[in-house]
Amino acid sequence: MVASCAEKTYAGTTIADVVSRASVSRTTFYKLFNDKRDCFDAAATLCVDRIVETVATAAAGHDSPAEATRSGAAAMLALLAAEPELALVLSGDVVGVDPGLVERYSAFTVPALEAIWESDGAPPAKHLSPGLAFGRAQLLVFHEVTAGRPERLPALLPDIVYLAIAPFAGHDEALRQARAAGVGVAR
Amino acid sequence: MTDAEALPRGRHGLSRETVARSQRERLLDAAARVTAARGYEATTVADILAEAGVGRETFYELFEDRRACVLAAHQELLDDLVAHVRVAYEGPGEWVERCRATLRVLLEWFAADPALGRFLLVEPAAVGPEFHAIFQAGFDRFVAVIDSGLDDNLPDSHPLPATSLAVGAAIARVYGEVAAGRTARLPTLLPQLTYETLVPFLGEAKAAEAAAQP
Repeated sequence: MVASCAEKTYAGTTIADVVSRASVSRTTFYKLFNDKRDCFDAAATLCVDRIVETVATAAAGHDSPAEATRSGAAAMLALLAAEPELALVLSGDVVGVDPGLVERYSAFTVPALEAIWESDGAPPAKHLSPGLAFGRAQLLVFHEVTAGRPERLPALLPDIVYLAIAPFAGHDEALRQARAAGVGVAR
Repeated sequence: MTDAEALPRGRHGLSRETVARSQRERLLDAAARVTAARGYEATTVADILAEAGVGRETFYELFEDRRACVLAAHQELLDDLVAHVRVAYEGPGEWVERCRATLRVLLEWFAADPALGRFLLVEPAAVGPEFHAIFQAGFDRFVAVIDSGLDDNLPDSHPLPATSLAVGAAIARVYGEVAAGRTARLPTLLPQLTYETLVPFLGEAKAAEAAAQP
């Protein structure tokens, strides 16, 4: 499902595509899923889980919120660069299938970011809406992937660090952190 | 028909008030409205014909199929928005003033016709693989417009691509409101959006100052 959506989008994907790529029978498909949409939702959730897991692992065990954010962002970009179909499905198809899903997925990310700051004792001041920052980060990643440049995703690190930090610490601090993250990143 | 550099005709290329008499324009307008109302999947050529009051034969003389017609309507609408944004951005005044004028025009353009806003932002993803290229090309066009008239004295935002962050902020904000069905209230978000789009260029203090202007 993920591979087919990445290549032909959700609209262009048929159940025949999915079962042939997965080498399973149509019967098996319908034992597992009610319909195409049901399968897509499960696939999208799987994509989100992979990203959340990767970010959480990378962000654990850092001293400062900024470091944790930077490490998590770098891990996410590396994952998406290696598997751009995750980004294509989550940023492209999810939007078309049901815009409400995007909000559900941003709901995984935003509390995780807030928790990073809260665990440091810093009050999560809202300079900008974290939900909005999520949307902007998604756009940037999507932009590179649809341009056929997934290998350049790691170069977005300063941007993603900026977007993830700005809602909580403000633009000025986020720009400082983005510059620190940009050292050694080829753009 | 309309190329990217064309000046806007009226308030909206496809709005009810300024619908041109040509059958092609009537079809493009109908395609946008029917798709916005029913979703791309559920839209048929017959629906578009009924809305436009145009015959099937004429439709197929002008467009290969439903998809071609809907994509042409999308292109026309995007051209119109880009033209409006460009005219506002190239207007008189200091850079910050021009940015505010641009944002005001952007928000009013969407609020003037929520259905068309929905068609522009939400529906293309349902059309198919073309969506990715369409989205990217649209994003790049807005970045190019803003980059073409930057103030020489802006602080260094390195390593951030400030224009891309600003365009992304505007799209994310407008998309969020349009998808939530709150398109009509977009103009009230001018101060907020001014801050969000200018902060990557100017920093907190100056962006807040720009946002606080009446």
